[in-house]
Amino acid sequence: MKSRLVAVPIAILVIAALPWLLQTPYWRGILVLCAMNVLLALSLNLVLGYTGQLNLGQSAFFAIGAYVSTILVRTYGWNFWAASLAAVAAAGLLGLALAAFAVRLRGHYLAIASLGFAVITYQVLINWEKMTEGVRGIYGILPPVASTTGLFYLVAGIALAVYVLIDNLVRSPVGDTLRAIREDEVSAASLGVNAALWKAFAFGLGAAIAGLAGCFYPGFVGTLVPDAFNIIESFTMMAMVIVGGMGTMIGPVIGAIVLTFLPELLRGFGEFRLMIYGLALMLVVLFMPGGIVQAWRTLARSR
Amino acid sequence: MTDLLALIVQQSVNGVYLGCLYVMVALGLTLIYGVLNQINFAHADFVTVGAFAALFTATRLGTKVLGLPDTAAYLLSMVAALGAGALLGLAINAAVFAPLRDRGDELRPLIATIGVSVLLENFQLWLFGPIPYQFDSPFSRETIRIGRIFFSAQSVLVVAVSAMAIAALYAFMKFTFLGKALRAVAQDRETAGLMGINPNLLIALTIVIASALAGVGGALLGPVLVLTPFAGASVIVKAFAIVIIGGFGNMQGTIIAGLLVGIIEAFTVQYLGSGLIDLVVFVLLLVMLVVRPTGLIAERKEENV
Repeated sequence: MKSRLVAVPIAILVIAALPWLLQTPYWRGILVLCAMNVLLALSLNLVLGYTGQLNLGQSAFFAIGAYVSTILVRTYGWNFWAASLAAVAAAGLLGLALAAFAVRLRGHYLAIASLGFAVITYQVLINWEKMTEGVRGIYGILPPVASTTGLFYLVAGIALAVYVLIDNLVRSPVGDTLRAIREDEVSAASLGVNAALWKAFAFGLGAAIAGLAGCFYPGFVGTLVPDAFNIIESFTMMAMVIVGGMGTMIGPVIGAIVLTFLPELLRGFGEFRLMIYGLALMLVVLFMPGGIVQAWRTLARSR
Repeated sequence: MTDLLALIVQQSVNGVYLGCLYVMVALGLTLIYGVLNQINFAHADFVTVGAFAALFTATRLGTKVLGLPDTAAYLLSMVAALGAGALLGLAINAAVFAPLRDRGDELRPLIATIGVSVLLENFQLWLFGPIPYQFDSPFSRETIRIGRIFFSAQSVLVVAVSAMAIAALYAFMKFTFLGKALRAVAQDRETAGLMGINPNLLIALTIVIASALAGVGGALLGPVLVLTPFAGASVIVKAFAIVIIGGFGNMQGTIIAGLLVGIIEAFTVQYLGSGLIDLVVFVLLLVMLVVRPTGLIAERKEENV
């Protein structure tokens, strides 16, 4: 408890200091991206890590957040914050829709169903041209805060708030319920846990958080095209959770940071960059099955 | 024949042709799932590697080096693609599936194969570049006409090769000792091991067969695809849908579902437009999962639904 009280001010200090350590606009942009990825990894970890639901469709909710907020602002003239609120609600509702499948399906079936969910969302973005401009994309989108540093503080602040929220949630009886569903759904149900209800809760909240991350993405990049929400995006989020350490709080954060900065640091390797990325992903799974967090703990214990 | 009837027959013929292509890809996924309960995401890239192996065999090795006529070179290219797929199967089994198999985890092998997929795609990107290759099959030039129905010699070849592959696979499973052992391993790995069957060997064999099928699928798909290092990805999501619609691990179900999806695709192109294919297929998938989650042909596998 005490260490957590210290951790939040330290996190605030680190977040405040980062833009001063990375002065160039390019690296400050990467910082914003990193904060968004932390949010996405946290959102997926709630569903995948704590509730144990194999969800390959998280990119769909990221996309819904991005498109709903942008379209409400541009086409209907909404205020950014009102639009974001609506976008988060829309993503959350869609999460509930996916949960309806999760109630009936498990394991690989859920994985493919959620993948299908992401494919359908992607296809709707491409085909519903009246609304989304299709593959042509939407251009000239303004961020809610003009400066990159400001945007970083905003998204990182939200990520920290979400972290504290989920951290408290998983320590509460709700967290025990979710973990019980993860470990054995049938025994959980036999103890009176309404598995369907709590799965819906996890999917809905996870989707809303991914949608929230999505609200900041279009303004940051300036353009919005469906290809940004390809199913590969879901895999990237999953890689962050796994590499960091699934089912721990800090793991996905570390995973998001490592997998945002690793490709940038590998830029010197040019064409080999993504080959190394793929190889690294494979090796982590093979040799560090619990991710960086567990490897660290094992190392610390063996000392 | 009325116009409408001719149109329906024509699109059904096109659909069966497409469906055979999908079956070649989806069968491998279902085979691996049947014995191993694992999904191989790199399967898509085995298809791409097969297509590139076939392309270079057909255009360089076959015609230029060996001096074969182009039809023979294309047939030879299928053998090359089969070999390339089989080798990749051996490699992925040794690197990912064998070491991760006994941890009883469905997520990590999945992630590891995603890693393999990223690795293979970018390796090919480095080798071949991002510009699509032109892969013309000599059989595409011949058009056959029966009444008012047209189809290319290539589509006849595709259907014939797929039918042969499926028949060979069935014969292998039903009539050989290895096939029987394989089914035993799929049913219960430990008990099969107690009966003196080496599950490691049989699982490796299954993955090699599955990957070889993907390779041949690549050789057949090559002329249809926009052949870039990422070409396989466009087919694989559909193959996943087919595997689920047919019932994971169920060969007959996969074949029927593959043909069905091919036919649905042909009619979607005719009546709704080609942009909506994936949408129609995946809505069908989700409906299927709600109505009949065990797939077209129900099997045990109750732990998944």
